[in-house]
Amino acid sequence: MPVIRLPYDDLEHLTGVSIEKIKERLPLMCADVERMETDYMDVEFFPNRPDLFSVEGVSRALRQFLDVKPGLVSYEIAKSGIEMVVDSSVLDVRPYVVCGAVKNLRLDSSAIESLMLLQEHLHRGVGRNRKKVSVGVHDLAKVKPPFRYLAVGPEFSFVPLDYEEEMTMAEILERHPKGVAYRYILEGKSKYPLILDSEGNVLSFPPIINAERTRVTESTKDIFIDVTGLNEDVSIALNIIACALAERGGQIQSVLLRSLSGTVGRIEEKETPCLEPGTMEISVKDVKSLIGIELSAEECKRCCERMGLGAEVPVSAPAQVSEMPDTISGEETLVVKIPAYRYDILHPWDIIEDIAIGYGYDRIKPEIPETVVIGEVHPIEEKKSAIRGIMTGLGYFEVLTFTLTSEKKQFERMRQNPFSGLEGQRFGSLVSRKGKPLHLSDVVKVASPISTEHTILRYSILPNLLDTLSLNKHRDLPQRIFEVGPVVLNYKEEYRLAAVSIHANANFAEVKSVVDAVLKELGLEDAEVVESENEAFLEGRRADIVRAGKQVGVFGEIHPEVILNFGLSYPVVGFEVEI
Amino acid sequence: MGYLFDMLFDKYYAKGTMTGKENIATTELAATEARVLLALEEEGGKWNQRTLSAKTGINEDAVMQTAFMLAKQGLCEIEEEKKVYYRLTEEGRAYAEDGLPERRALYFLIDRNGATVEELRDAFGDEVKIAINWLLKKNWARIEKRGEERYLIPTIVLEESLSGIDEEILNFVSGGATERGTLADRIKNSGILLTEEELNGFLSQLSSRNLVDSYSRVEREIAISEAGEEEILSRRGISVEDEIAQLTPELLRTGSWKGRKFKRYDVNLASKEVFPAKIHPYQRLLDRMRRIFTEMGFVEIKGEAVQSAFWNFDALFVPQDHPAREMQDTFYLAARKRIEASDDLIEKVKQMHEHGGSLNSTGWGGEWKRELGEELLLRTHTTAVTLSYLASHPEPPVKVFCIDRVYRRETIDPTHIPEFDQLEGIVMDKGVTFSNLLGCLATFYNKMGFPSIRFRPGYFPYTEPSVEVEVYMAERGWIELGGAGIFREEVTNPVGVDYPVLAWGLGIGRLAMISLGLTDIRDLYQPDIDWLRNARSFR
Repeated sequence: MPVIRLPYDDLEHLTGVSIEKIKERLPLMCADVERMETDYMDVEFFPNRPDLFSVEGVSRALRQFLDVKPGLVSYEIAKSGIEMVVDSSVLDVRPYVVCGAVKNLRLDSSAIESLMLLQEHLHRGVGRNRKKVSVGVHDLAKVKPPFRYLAVGPEFSFVPLDYEEEMTMAEILERHPKGVAYRYILEGKSKYPLILDSEGNVLSFPPIINAERTRVTESTKDIFIDVTGLNEDVSIALNIIACALAERGGQIQSVLLRSLSGTVGRIEEKETPCLEPGTMEISVKDVKSLIGIELSAEECKRCCERMGLGAEVPVSAPAQVSEMPDTISGEETLVVKIPAYRYDILHPWDIIEDIAIGYGYDRIKPEIPETVVIGEVHPIEEKKSAIRGIMTGLGYFEVLTFTLTSEKKQFERMRQNPFSGLEGQRFGSLVSRKGKPLHLSDVVKVASPISTEHTILRYSILPNLLDTLSLNKHRDLPQRIFEVGPVVLNYKEEYRLAAVSIHANANFAEVKSVVDAVLKELGLEDAEVVESENEAFLEGRRADIVRAGKQVGVFGEIHPEVILNFGLSYPVVGFEVEI
Repeated sequence: MGYLFDMLFDKYYAKGTMTGKENIATTELAATEARVLLALEEEGGKWNQRTLSAKTGINEDAVMQTAFMLAKQGLCEIEEEKKVYYRLTEEGRAYAEDGLPERRALYFLIDRNGATVEELRDAFGDEVKIAINWLLKKNWARIEKRGEERYLIPTIVLEESLSGIDEEILNFVSGGATERGTLADRIKNSGILLTEEELNGFLSQLSSRNLVDSYSRVEREIAISEAGEEEILSRRGISVEDEIAQLTPELLRTGSWKGRKFKRYDVNLASKEVFPAKIHPYQRLLDRMRRIFTEMGFVEIKGEAVQSAFWNFDALFVPQDHPAREMQDTFYLAARKRIEASDDLIEKVKQMHEHGGSLNSTGWGGEWKRELGEELLLRTHTTAVTLSYLASHPEPPVKVFCIDRVYRRETIDPTHIPEFDQLEGIVMDKGVTFSNLLGCLATFYNKMGFPSIRFRPGYFPYTEPSVEVEVYMAERGWIELGGAGIFREEVTNPVGVDYPVLAWGLGIGRLAMISLGLTDIRDLYQPDIDWLRNARSFR
């Protein structure tokens, strides 16, 4: 989630509220305060609120939330007279585009930094790493409208941002840090998107880089914004940036988009940005039934306004009701106006959440629901709990280990040898699945492991216990440990109990006694013990536990090679059994 | 038993020579103590436990224990010294007999006036690397390239090739475990002058070559003290009365214990530590949470660790291009499986994503792809489990919880691990509200021992309203412990649920670290047995 740095002086200047008050109330607006320093704080905002990814946006929201200036902000838009001609060649490359201008700005270094960071956060969030949406901001004075958005061949060249010499677009993708970072978006395209002015000067090469020519500096007065992308989200990004700049005192002006050859990305001719608020109607009754607080329509309206939404309580004369099919007769409703920079309102409940936040989460009284159900522990957990009693009674300490592990620990070190290259070959399974031979393909493998230690889900717990012993070599012996938990085979969980004992005199008789006791305690006396062929154990001192013709467990003296494979130097006995 | 003595020793005495610090009344010298004291007085001089045992007929452990008791009363003195012994390893023994590989190789080279690496390999087999390595290290040979062949040329002649000090040491310890003092004497007597450091250097070289290993043993010598002698003088005729040490069935049956003395024990002497086997402290914490939720009337449910992206993400209205779904954050299995849901449900979820289905919702737009939903993954939250439970139990009321492992593709460090436990719960019923959600969470955390709780707005793609829970801890301030909310209608509508669903997913790791006093979350899953042994069962 984006972390926004909010300098206190900027914040106080833009809100007119003391920093103490802001510090106190900001967490209740919708933010995680990461850290507070002497002259700034870093605040994490939620990804569904890109309108808060700048100090300007946060200040606007705070003014509303703290009742300094609640309600919908309406930004004046004048027509700039600038035209942007959209060529049909972009259709296959990056079809959506919107533009806008903001004039009469006075930008200091912190305003420029805020603008650049806002742009980056939009690229990452809404833009999905520039793929869906990318933004360019330009010094309008350096170029001459009308502009053109078109796709050209990779040999076209210009001077990209941060460079002094011309580069072809192909070279930019090859060498420029931004080109390298984002060229994946244009992979497989034969032509690349480009924005040119009337004299053939480049503004930008979306979504990669702007031209050095249009760099925004402290002397920039008028800004031109282009937003290109793959869907309608281009508008929200434009609206957020234009409104943030307007908060800095700029005047938003619209740009006329014109498509020469019919519709390009749903454009024929339109003025952007369009800051007309959206409208949604909510029922006041829903506020009570969802949040559990009793609020009048007027109170709901005030809560909306605290969240920057416009709200009106319609005067509902009976005659009008019938004309408005959306309004359920007899119910109080609220018509809510949603500012064009909000990205998160999909559904009436999104507004109701805003009302709850505007009301204050701290004022909502927690109440236990009246729903009556008889509580119940899951049967498998009851069983696991009983097993813990048995095993600790037998002197075994419980351990918990990861279910993510590696082939090396599960197979190689355990002498299970599944890597003969024969898919589906049977290997000396610790416990086979449902009595059938275990196949390599039954083991759940992770496609992109984070480390070589965590490549598969365990199919046996014993190796984890041996691994635990190896982590405890410097601790006094004897050590007796157990784990009761899941293994995963063929995508299904199944529960097992495993235990090991390590000390100088560990032998078959010890583990046999323990296994007998466990089987008896679990009511599995009918299980048979037969000689095993499991290679993890010593021949002649290993046994399978078989029940109703199905192998359910194994025990014995661990093979010396296995002991050494885990770096241990004392005899180990152990068992594993399905529960 | 040696272990017990070391412990006693450490407990009472810090340095080499020990004399009793307390002047305990000695009127009741036990029989064994009297026997040992008399033996010491009779013979005079210093005794080790073995010789004293032979003299008194008391076993070695008991002799030593008695000596400690006497020393504590100031009646004898115990000198202790840690002695280091050296002995040959198996490899060392072989070399002590045949000579070090480099020695044999040197003779081989001198004999032939140089040889190629290949020739050496033929002659020395597996030992060739060791031999060459040490030939060069000891400056006994140099490498010369002649054409394609690399030759080893001896740099010394036979007459100069005296036995090295390391070889002498091997020889000196070849007779069996040799105490360091004895070894030093042997070296000196053979005319070799070595400082302590030089000797250490050779010994550590031999031990790093795995030819010699060492072990240490504490040796003690016992002598009567002046106070001990006085004791005997003052109590002339001190007698060796036979006291009962261990009560036996025999004594009980015959009644011969009557009228006899029982040896007195020092009730403050340290005993051997024993530890009860126990349930893992973290498991106890999980069980406590389980108990709290069942007490609150919740039914526990379980589900699979391997889930489809459909249940883990799509049914929860997480857009298909959401960053959390990327390979970077989620463990995918590179396998697909038919989605375990009806075609009708899958279609409804598709509609919901594309345009909000039949709801007053915009949806996410774009095309929803079924094959992305079929991808198998390790569940990133147990919400996948609770939601599929809801889908099969759409009628109210539902109050269930789930405590289980979840998986995130996190790089491992002290606060991040790729799998951890999550506590998930839902309430679905007519008329339940956000305030009820806060009520459930507040009750849970109160019962977990956190009286101060606060709620802040939160964000999760599948809940609205959303909330984050924080608890207050002295010295730490507000700590975020979990997220919660009411399932969006975009989530509940396709699965056929018509009433609000209060839901939470609480991370347990952080809570566990705090309540178990851990600074590294990995310790929960990589247990240190001593930590388990010493972890208290009850706080």
